[in-house]
Amino acid sequence: MEASSSKFVDQLVVPGDVILDLSNLSNQTLKLGGGLRQDGDSICVMKAGKLRFMKPNKYWVESSQKRYVPSAGDNVLGVVVDTKPENFLVDIKGPAIAFLPVLSFEGGTRRNIPKFEVGTLLYVRVVSANTGMNPELSCMDANGKAAEYGILKDGYMFESSTGLSRALLSSPPHPVLEGLGKKLSFEIAVGINGRFWVNASQSSTVILVGNAIQKSESLSMVQQKIYLEKLLKSIQ
Amino acid sequence: MEQRLANSFTVTVNETKFIENALISDIRVDGRRPFDYRNLIIRFGSEDGSSEVQLGRTQVIAFVTGQLVQPYRDRPNEGTFAIYTEFSPMADPSFEPGRPGDSAIELGRIVDRGLRESRAVDTESLCVIAGKLVWSIRIDLHIIDNGGNLVDAANISALAALSTFRRPECTVEGEDGQELIIHPPDVREPLPLIIHHFPVAVTFGFIGKENIVVIDPTHHEEAVMGGSLTVTLNTNGDVCAIQKAGGDGVLQSVIMQCLRIASVKAGDITSKIKNAVESYNTQRSLRKIKRHNPSSTVSNVAKHHA
Amino acid sequence: MEFVSPEGLRLDGRRPMEMRQLRAELGAVSRADGSAIFEMGNTKVIAAVYGPREVQHRGQQLNDKALIRCEYTMANFSTGDRMRRPKGDRRSTEISLVIRQTMEACIMTHLMPHSQIDIFVQVLQADGGTRSACINAATLALADAGIPMCDLVTSCSAGYLNTTPLLDLNYVEDSAGGPDVTVGILPKLDKVTLLQMDAKLPMDIFENVMQLATEGCKAVANYIREVLMENTKQLENRRGV
Repeated sequence: MEASSSKFVDQLVVPGDVILDLSNLSNQTLKLGGGLRQDGDSICVMKAGKLRFMKPNKYWVESSQKRYVPSAGDNVLGVVVDTKPENFLVDIKGPAIAFLPVLSFEGGTRRNIPKFEVGTLLYVRVVSANTGMNPELSCMDANGKAAEYGILKDGYMFESSTGLSRALLSSPPHPVLEGLGKKLSFEIAVGINGRFWVNASQSSTVILVGNAIQKSESLSMVQQKIYLEKLLKSIQ
Repeated sequence: MEQRLANSFTVTVNETKFIENALISDIRVDGRRPFDYRNLIIRFGSEDGSSEVQLGRTQVIAFVTGQLVQPYRDRPNEGTFAIYTEFSPMADPSFEPGRPGDSAIELGRIVDRGLRESRAVDTESLCVIAGKLVWSIRIDLHIIDNGGNLVDAANISALAALSTFRRPECTVEGEDGQELIIHPPDVREPLPLIIHHFPVAVTFGFIGKENIVVIDPTHHEEAVMGGSLTVTLNTNGDVCAIQKAGGDGVLQSVIMQCLRIASVKAGDITSKIKNAVESYNTQRSLRKIKRHNPSSTVSNVAKHHA
Repeated sequence: MEFVSPEGLRLDGRRPMEMRQLRAELGAVSRADGSAIFEMGNTKVIAAVYGPREVQHRGQQLNDKALIRCEYTMANFSTGDRMRRPKGDRRSTEISLVIRQTMEACIMTHLMPHSQIDIFVQVLQADGGTRSACINAATLALADAGIPMCDLVTSCSAGYLNTTPLLDLNYVEDSAGGPDVTVGILPKLDKVTLLQMDAKLPMDIFENVMQLATEGCKAVANYIREVLMENTKQLENRRGV
């Protein structure tokens, strides 16, 4: 059996496109990801983007948007907006405020609840995201270790789109990010929810890196390379 | 409660601290220096008296309309002039639909004070029949996108729209001199408003404990700043309006320094508006010559079909 | 119209740099936590302060500081022509906002999180300079209510008519269409928190007018200080503070 039966794979699709007709398929199980739905015998697209396929049977639509749709396992940047006895309320740019239980820190007990003021920036993991419930966050990895999660001090948080965030996290690494990394020393944390945080010893470095990454989104691969060269020259 | 949290804009602790720290080394988050103005683009609509101003990410549309009304009793031979603001919830999640909020009213008042009380627009020439009919000029300011510093963008937009607005020419005839004739635009060229001077608003923000002064604050800087100062002045060096509505206190010397900087910026902005208006006017006159051709072809085609 | 006579006297007989008679009275409203009446010549303003108290609309509660609210109204009988004024017109909304932000600059709001302070000011007689009188009245009322403040904000206006800078304009001078500069200062820090101006004025003259208004503010500050001292002395006599 062929790997993919849709001729739309890696093509751009828009809402309403039918990518697969199930009636032609011989009892194959499919796994549908974001942006796809089943309508009777056909698989329809719900949002504009690129159709992706992963063997053996996963389909999803990859798109870039400003709002984030929470999904379990994502690493995101969240901003504390309020503190409740059981939870910190964290804005993760999603449709609902996310809850970060006060105990979900490495070695967290009732006695050592961290104190976060409103506006604290956190690097957190989405533990669960179900419709009709507020997403739940955690500052531990699956093994209960703090890993890299937790509070981000200093630096500056830039807004981006989810597409840019994904590009920054992808491998091979984002060319602009990689190029800047060779010349400058800075720290970066990328949340898949369309936020990234940059920190460096000098404010000017943070501003340069942040704006360069934000700007790179609207450039093509070739343009990005030219832009990067220009930028690196201007630093020297 | 949670609805409110989701819609309000929370500045992170990091951002507040960073903006302050970066300013100490004379740099701002968008790469500007403290006294750099953002990129200003002035565009005009297809009709006279409409303009669209883009100041960085901020976008404002102004639309000027005129109407013949009865004048106010205390000013029988002056036209009227009013400014309306529309803060659509489209521009910013914190703008609520319904009646205008405090910020919308403040913006309207600042623009109003700058334009009206400095008598930038000649209202006496808007009189048609003293005590009976005058032109009422209405400026509608629509905020399309809020990227910070709405006041300056709205003010520039209003000025640009006012300088391209034209009203139909009116003459009074008849035996008693009370009969009004409004000449349609294709018979007599509509008249532009008489604008004596261009009062340009320039806004400063005061950030941090040391009250570091920045010009043209962005949305993020506005969320962090302790106070702001809007100076409206023209190229003759006159101060037309000032608004510093409370907030962090600053020294008088700082205010005078702001005034001097604003005066330079106002000159730049005025020439930008004037250039844009000039190119609009040339385009407009070119457009009018062309206008006859397509209409004649249309009538030819119509004839052909008949 | 001549606003300054050749002898250098104004319409009401004042010198150009002379302020009108000030009068202040604390505790004018018995139910309020703090209140004051402030008069500048014929301009008379009453202010009442409630709070810090529980926030009325939970949604507006602030976690790091007190919520300040201000309402400015003009009594129907306050001006020459008596008329019913619509509540919440653009002018009074703006003045409410200006007074609120000016008072916020001196109230130590971070000491009273999760609470609300209401300031009500009403103009009883309007004869120019209502904005300044309101701020002075609000300052006194706040002080009377014992709300922590870092300084006493005071305000005064100045204008420029017949090529003369004039301090503390009255209604006739105010409606002459000349420039009107209202300044609010934090006198101890010597910093300007409120500055409003309309109509046209060259920059160097503006500096002089602003300076004059600032001097006026300082004079008001001295007066307010005395009033508060006097009041505190009385309290001392009564209950041995």
